[in-house]
Amino acid sequence: MELVGEEKKIQALFSELRLADQVAAPSFAGVWNRAQLRTRTRLSPLNFSLAAAAFAVFVAVVALVLWSNSRQQTSPTNHTAAVTPAMPSVTPPLTTVPTQPKGISDEEQRRAARNLLAARFAARQRAELLAARRAEIRDATAISSWQSPTATLLSSQNDALLNSLPQLNESAKELKSFLPNK
Amino acid sequence: MDIAELKAELEQYHAACFGWALSCCARDRAEAEEVLQTVYLKILEGKARFRGEASLKTWLFAVIRKTAATEYRRNLLRKLRVAVSSEQVSKREPAGGEVDAAFDRSEEQVRFRLALQHLPARQREALHLVFYEDLSLREAADVMGVSIGSARQHYERGKKRLREVLERTEVDYGISWRGKENPGAV
Repeated sequence: MELVGEEKKIQALFSELRLADQVAAPSFAGVWNRAQLRTRTRLSPLNFSLAAAAFAVFVAVVALVLWSNSRQQTSPTNHTAAVTPAMPSVTPPLTTVPTQPKGISDEEQRRAARNLLAARFAARQRAELLAARRAEIRDATAISSWQSPTATLLSSQNDALLNSLPQLNESAKELKSFLPNK
Repeated sequence: MDIAELKAELEQYHAACFGWALSCCARDRAEAEEVLQTVYLKILEGKARFRGEASLKTWLFAVIRKTAATEYRRNLLRKLRVAVSSEQVSKREPAGGEVDAAFDRSEEQVRFRLALQHLPARQREALHLVFYEDLSLREAADVMGVSIGSARQHYERGKKRLREVLERTEVDYGISWRGKENPGAV
């Protein structure tokens, strides 16, 4: 662009301004490094939040696994423990499964654990069955011994005579005494 | 263009970029540095990517201009939020006290800077890009994001306005702009 008169003057003023700015300009390395630093500091909170989220998920998963394991182990034991005193002759002792000695293989340990669970399950079933039978017997007894509350109103002094049968060797005279007088 | 290559190019244009950032930030040195740093950050993070559609310098200046505008708006909102005094809000307005800070400037240079601050932003940008950065009007239009006709209009009006402001201040200072430009006419 060809500059004339006034433009040259403006150009000169801008050139002077440019020179002053160049002197005052910060170093490129400084600005660039600070920008790089800001990049890192901007990324680090993201990383931290990601790590925190991952840790929270990990903790939640571990807690869930522990809770489910403890529930599996405690719930049958508690149930059998509650039922066991009522049927000492039926329920097999839970400690019958021998504890595994150290040094056995994982497969054997797993098998032993399975056996223990099966034994507990069987004991639980037996306990439930026995409890059901006892309940049935108790109900039958209650029904058989039931008496009507109005049964006393139907009773009389001659109940013994009415409910009994005459003997074969009894005389007719004696029998007449039961008949109403004419 | 990989980042090392780009870094070398950026270093080459660093002084010009700082000058342009100063112009976009109303000659506020700290803010200009902040804007430039943000621009480099954008480049590093890949938010601003050079696709070769224009020259690197034009693209870089456009990024600086946009970033400065964003920063200006952000600062303004921040200031409004904390309900600062009106003096603090109008900090970006031209003030004689902030002009003469670190440099040994001539009286004329001080008046020139004040006159630039009195120009509308578009006109100031057009003049700066053409005279300070030695860009053509087409390149200036690209940086400003306007058509070349619009850029030319801003450029012409800017020159006229600058002359008027300088003349007015010369009267205040008792110096003649036209007399200096053309001593023979006096």
